[in-house]
Amino acid sequence: MIYNIFHKTVFNYQSMVSFSHNIARLKPKESLSQKLLEFSMEFTPKEYESHEFIDSFGNENMHLLLREPHHSLSVIGKSKVEIFPEIIKEQVDNLRRKSISFGDALERLSKFHADDLEAKQFLYESKLITRKSKLIRDYALESFAKERDVFESANELMERIYRDFEFVSGFSDITTPVEKTFESKKGVCQDFAQFGISALRSIGLPAKYMSGYIETLPPEGQEKLFGADASHAWFSVYIPNAGWAEFDPTNNIIPKEQHILLGSGRDYHDISPLKGVVMSSGSSHLSVMVDVRREEEKVQMQAQTQSQSQNQY
Amino acid sequence: MSIFESYVVESSIDEVFDEKKNVRQYWNNIVEDIEKAGWDLLKEKQSDIDWHLEDNGVTFNIYDTHEKSAQRSWSMDPIPFVICEDEWSEIRKGLKQRAKLLNLILKDLYSEQKLIKENIIPAEVVYGHKGYAPEVFDFGFKENFNLYFYATDMARGPDGKMWIINDRTQAPSGLGYSIENRLTMNSIAKDLYPNIATKKLYTFIEDYKKLLLDLTGGDLSKAAILTPGPHNETYFEHAYLSSFLEISLVQGDDLLSKNGSLWLKSLSGLKEINTLLRRVDDRYCDPLELNDESRLGVAGLVESMRQNNLSIINPIGSAVLENAGLNPFMEKISEYFLQEKLILPQIATWWCGQKKELDFVIENLEKLIIKKIDRTESIQVYFGKKMSLLEREALTLLLLQSPHQYVAQQEVVFSTIPYYENGTIEPRNAVVRTFCLKKGEDYSVMNGGLVRVATEKDSLIVSSQRGGTSKDLWILGGKEDDISMAYSFKYAQYVETSIDKISTPKAENLFWLGRYLARAITTTRLIMHVVKKITNFYRYEVGTSKESQVILQNALTHMTMTYPGFLDVSNDESLEIFPMREITSVIKDTSRSGSLAFTVMMLSNTNINLKDILAFESSKLFDKMQKEWNEFINRTNDSTLIVASELDNFLIYLMAYKELVKESVFKEQGLIIYDVGYKIESALLLISKSRSMLCLKLDRFIGHDVLEGMLNSQESFNAYRAFYRSSVNLENVVDFLILNSQFPKSLAYMTGELLKEFKLLPKAKVELTSYEKPIAQAQKLLESIQLVNLLEIEKDEGIYVKLDAMLLKLSDLYLECSSEFSNTYFSHYDE
Repeated sequence: MIYNIFHKTVFNYQSMVSFSHNIARLKPKESLSQKLLEFSMEFTPKEYESHEFIDSFGNENMHLLLREPHHSLSVIGKSKVEIFPEIIKEQVDNLRRKSISFGDALERLSKFHADDLEAKQFLYESKLITRKSKLIRDYALESFAKERDVFESANELMERIYRDFEFVSGFSDITTPVEKTFESKKGVCQDFAQFGISALRSIGLPAKYMSGYIETLPPEGQEKLFGADASHAWFSVYIPNAGWAEFDPTNNIIPKEQHILLGSGRDYHDISPLKGVVMSSGSSHLSVMVDVRREEEKVQMQAQTQSQSQNQY
Repeated sequence: MSIFESYVVESSIDEVFDEKKNVRQYWNNIVEDIEKAGWDLLKEKQSDIDWHLEDNGVTFNIYDTHEKSAQRSWSMDPIPFVICEDEWSEIRKGLKQRAKLLNLILKDLYSEQKLIKENIIPAEVVYGHKGYAPEVFDFGFKENFNLYFYATDMARGPDGKMWIINDRTQAPSGLGYSIENRLTMNSIAKDLYPNIATKKLYTFIEDYKKLLLDLTGGDLSKAAILTPGPHNETYFEHAYLSSFLEISLVQGDDLLSKNGSLWLKSLSGLKEINTLLRRVDDRYCDPLELNDESRLGVAGLVESMRQNNLSIINPIGSAVLENAGLNPFMEKISEYFLQEKLILPQIATWWCGQKKELDFVIENLEKLIIKKIDRTESIQVYFGKKMSLLEREALTLLLLQSPHQYVAQQEVVFSTIPYYENGTIEPRNAVVRTFCLKKGEDYSVMNGGLVRVATEKDSLIVSSQRGGTSKDLWILGGKEDDISMAYSFKYAQYVETSIDKISTPKAENLFWLGRYLARAITTTRLIMHVVKKITNFYRYEVGTSKESQVILQNALTHMTMTYPGFLDVSNDESLEIFPMREITSVIKDTSRSGSLAFTVMMLSNTNINLKDILAFESSKLFDKMQKEWNEFINRTNDSTLIVASELDNFLIYLMAYKELVKESVFKEQGLIIYDVGYKIESALLLISKSRSMLCLKLDRFIGHDVLEGMLNSQESFNAYRAFYRSSVNLENVVDFLILNSQFPKSLAYMTGELLKEFKLLPKAKVELTSYEKPIAQAQKLLESIQLVNLLEIEKDEGIYVKLDAMLLKLSDLYLECSSEFSNTYFSHYDE
């Protein structure tokens, strides 16, 4: 499965900005099940300097300095990504098979185990997921009985979030606390992901924030409009002995072939696609446009190019 | 009565007296000296100390509950905390060992994390600690990523040994205060303790300078102290350290980052900074990669570290070492890294993240002290024995919920020491802060330190923030000739204002101080004239005055750009009947850009930012002026006459302030920037007024009135009379205010002066700079003018078109100069 992704972020500033530092994280992560075929990034205005580095969560970061006076900054990331559904299926089967009971998981996590160390970074408060609320903990525990399998329990937690919460955009922003999401039972994908993470951490399981895209399909019989997609987020839970298992509570699915991963972190803050510090007065306005498009079957593609080439001759 | 007879040891251990109430041997001489001195001399020496500290401006800012900070002077009592030579050499070894260990831990946690992977310390103690900074996860591999400066809090435990209480690693305070304490003690010691030899501090300061030289590559101008600013509780110390380490004191705004390095913005350009001694907490150092709400840091600072262009004392991430959760594992860590036993004892500590330990802690809660492992948030300490059953149950619940975040410590009785206050001495608890500095592979330990004394008797809480007092720490056994080095400690608070080195934000503030001050003065004068006209108008009801009144009012709207103002056609009638309504708004409405109140507000901001450059009197005067001004603008229903007299009063303040500003700073220093701002603004306002008042063809009577207004609002009427010895006429007024090259307030004169001043600026060149060009052009224009041609007018025209066109051109040139000047000096555009 090959996807072409177009991700454009625009900052509009009220007053002129002539010096700004930014970090862009728009390069999809490579893994066994996801291969990055092409990638490019484009900035307007042009960057004065840039430097790439990999952060502690393994995400690719691009540090940029802009010095050309501008009222608006636009960053376009274009990537071509290949997803291998068979590998994902195999991984999920593996996770299911190796998953252990919640009680055993807690027992193991309370002790030293070399395989679990990295995951323990995702067990604690983070910038956007702070307090551990008893109410959220109780909500999570409804699915997590001591003897029950973690994978199964997490799957049920995902289902419950999907069932109990209503997708309402414009109701929340990245700073909306998890407690408020829980109280109102409303939000968008990142609220559901962060709620799930908070719930899992509150019962002692490491959980991380997954940031990326999802392929959406237009209503039956309609053509898909360009730029009709959005960034997407879901969560991943650590199952000792098995590994990280991903769940998408917004769509009630285990990511298979339609999820493209940008990167992961403790919460949105670790992996926001674009952040910056500008020296300027006045406010700024952010707009984002995303397009995720499955590439036509290879055979057809070739046929097309051939016919085009023929036309040229 | 003997002094120490009144001293009753209540604790099980005391610094001066042993269990048998005998004076410990190494205290003998000091106790004798104090007894010999008697109460009177002790009291006298205490006032000497108070005077010294106050005279040197030693202060400590305290935040009260209303978030306003109050300055408190620092205090110290004349009885030192004494440690004998033998004990000290053991403590030194212990401190060096602990410093080395903490450095190894720091480097490991931000590189391979062997301590975690090999199960020496639990991952939770690190990942669950708020000081752990994943942003620098692999920086520990870097050669310049080290715990360079380390402070330790110690107190004497029941076994008579000094115990470690806290480690301070991210931006430890106290070094400056302890040096100042020592200098102050030196001044009284020769009378009070004439024969006591103590170890000196200077080698440590020399080591500090060597370290900075080493890190900067031999150029101290590449090092700076990063301070959160004058409101910080220990700002005194930041300024103090900057002075005797001879490095710049900077705030986040003074720096920028580019090319993967930090740069100090100064008027002569950007200067690279490769070493920072920071007094800003970890997470506030970089709004891009750390706390994005911070206004104290520099965006790109972490990137500069990443690209190996910046050493920090201490590096971002060192807060993770201020971690009580490490204590239970220190013995294991020492074994792992150094194959040594810990030399200095620590308080017995249980980390609650382990099942066995947690059970023990819950079982013994009433005997223990419970606290969080990190101190990045407000420090809450629970004393088990002081808690009710209910409170203990609530605490147990907290422990069960997040066990890894808590430690429990054994409650320890620490020693007391005699403390002198108001003619009595009593036993108090005290905590000793010592300092270590990285020196090659080893650490250097300062032979002294800062001793903080508990606020009250029987209190264990020692914190300067809560208003404590201090003592000097004496290590006995120094050599007499050490004193020769004391000269290197001279301290004078010093802010860089020389034109080449002044920081860009300071320079920019000076520029705007000039502009806002000129605007405030000129606006006040014009309003005053308009107001006085109105009072006269109503008194005499002279018919012709009304038209000139309208012209003056329109000029006010134009000059202050408070449109639509008097030009509001839809509101014509009301403006005509109640002009004071509009004028009052132009005076008092802070929300209206261009109003006098708005200008005063901006002026006040620049004044605050320049507090450390301007003379002390000027800020005092400004505060007074501001107070009266605020009372005035918040009052309603003042009569027109009172408004006029308030403005009079305000103008006097402004003029006095202006004189004090000029007196504060040398012209060759930053003042020239202020002067440039002042002249540019004055010129622009003069041009604006001239366009409103001199370009209209008016009948003789009205014309006379308007010209008089022009001269008066420029405070030039008398000078004009002295110069021309004739009544006012347009030709002469234009000549006087615009073209005259002798009169200091004329446009031609200011233009000439500006061109001279530009040559004194750091970026001056032989050829004309971008900001000089427009002013040189203005000068040429002014010189080429034939007054007669300028005032030519067609019969049916109402405006002196040529004069107006010339003024418009001049205005454009001045505006261009101002913006080019800002670009050249303040934005570091092309650097």
